[in-house]
Amino acid sequence: MAVNTLVLSVSTAIYLAVVIVLAYVGYKKTKKADDYLIAGRSISPIILALSYGATFISTSAIIGFGGLAGYMGMGLIWLTVLNIGIGIFIAFVFFGKKTREIGHKLGAVTFPDLMGKIYKSEFLRNASGLIIIVGMPLYTAAILIGGARFIETTLSVPYNTALIGFAIVVVAYVIIGGLIAVMYTDAMQGTLMAIGMSILLVLTYIKLGGVSEAHSALTSLSHLTPSSLASAGQVGWTSMPSLGSPLWYTLVTTIILGVGIGVLAQPQLIVRFMTVKDNRSLNRAVLVGGPFIILMTGVAFTVGALTNVYFQNTTGQIAIEAAGGNIDSIMPTYINAAMPDILIVLLMLVLLSAAMSTLSSLLHTMGSTLGHDLWHKANNKEASLRTSQKGTLLMMIVSVLLAYMLPISIIARATAMFMGLCASAFLPSFVMGLYSKNPSKTAAKTSLITGAVVWFAWTAFVHIKESGPLGISQALFGKATLLDMPWPVVDPLMLALPLSTAALVVVWLLERKRIAPQTKESMDAN
Amino acid sequence: MLGIADPQIWIGYLLAVGLTLLCIIYGAINWNKGDENDGS
Repeated sequence: MAVNTLVLSVSTAIYLAVVIVLAYVGYKKTKKADDYLIAGRSISPIILALSYGATFISTSAIIGFGGLAGYMGMGLIWLTVLNIGIGIFIAFVFFGKKTREIGHKLGAVTFPDLMGKIYKSEFLRNASGLIIIVGMPLYTAAILIGGARFIETTLSVPYNTALIGFAIVVVAYVIIGGLIAVMYTDAMQGTLMAIGMSILLVLTYIKLGGVSEAHSALTSLSHLTPSSLASAGQVGWTSMPSLGSPLWYTLVTTIILGVGIGVLAQPQLIVRFMTVKDNRSLNRAVLVGGPFIILMTGVAFTVGALTNVYFQNTTGQIAIEAAGGNIDSIMPTYINAAMPDILIVLLMLVLLSAAMSTLSSLLHTMGSTLGHDLWHKANNKEASLRTSQKGTLLMMIVSVLLAYMLPISIIARATAMFMGLCASAFLPSFVMGLYSKNPSKTAAKTSLITGAVVWFAWTAFVHIKESGPLGISQALFGKATLLDMPWPVVDPLMLALPLSTAALVVVWLLERKRIAPQTKESMDAN
Repeated sequence: MLGIADPQIWIGYLLAVGLTLLCIIYGAINWNKGDENDGS
């Protein structure tokens, strides 16, 4: 990196000092298990919105998906539409209020606890907990690797030191200060992210001669689309891919719908709705959340696509060529080449913030699930602060081990995989639990099992991006995918979510039919 | 619109900005609604 190492080191030290201060504030305010698990239900709306947004947006949303926009074009803006419309508006206004009210009434402190209490079902609590414990470490390992690689390249720290150091700093503040420290640091990190991304957008347009000029220049580059991309359906960086092409399926089903809908059933986000004392806080958080998200993904996807114009003007190459063929290098290469030194430092802290805020929240969710929902409940004990802290430490160790053990091809898919699994398994039963006066336990169980099983089967045997690296289909049937096009490019969520929803509706209707005659008979007998 | 020819893209941008405005307006209008004491 071109920036002075001293400036970078001092900025990072100041940043870490602020994190330590906020962790200490969290520590002072964390007296009992409720404080650790749901921040004592007394978080302010602005902190909620920034924390929710900063958790929602990981480094991969900026670097990975921003780079993807540099590769595939501005079609990713539809993910921003869903991020704001579903991930903020519907999530807060409809899901958030109900979650808060029901969570408060039932005294729920985690997502599995909420599911278990709504349905009065140990199975649903344990199954939700297990899905989190099994699926989330993969996502956590991906965030850890992303953060460590980033620290390695920007601060010139060896990879192993970066990974272990990053893990220790985050696990320390989660254990010491619980969800209060997590949300306070998230809010500080979210503020940095909003400032950094705003400046990035403005400077990019200035560098490219204005808004319309930059877009027109990008439109005029369509003839430079690489032949491999053109044959997959790409028609330029300011157009959607051809309808029904492999690129269109990937963009629409995996990226836009998979990630856009998946956010509604993320346990680490749902628990945040239970941290505020009233619905007024959620109303106020919407005002901050919407603009925050457009500043994150909206800016990343726009700037990502526009890097093609910058690199064309300066090097005569398109973005993916300038980044050496690596999508994840497009945004860092652009930032290092085009931005002034001081902004490079700020953006480095933005990316560190994005990684830390997501990592701390995942860690907290896994730790509280293991400690509170699985261990404590299995032993019939009251929630204790110590067990959740031990759970957090143990889950960090598991995630670090996974980061070393799993092939990078699987890690690269971890974010989309985890979001897809959560939506397929949890979303229908979670919606029913929030909105039905008499939610059916059997319907919820059937839906959760159907969603998880179908998602896994499609992931392991059909969706080529996962079935290939996983190798299960290859080992059992001698081929990476069992179906022909277009199925191998259709995301598992597209099948698993409709089927888990259908399972819920069918079982619920059958149960109603069975109960109705019984009720009538008992009324007749009376 | 603004140098983007494909309506599938600029409609996406319009919606993203429109939804952001919806969030701002919703938050502002309901700023004081949903207090724990008003029962909602």
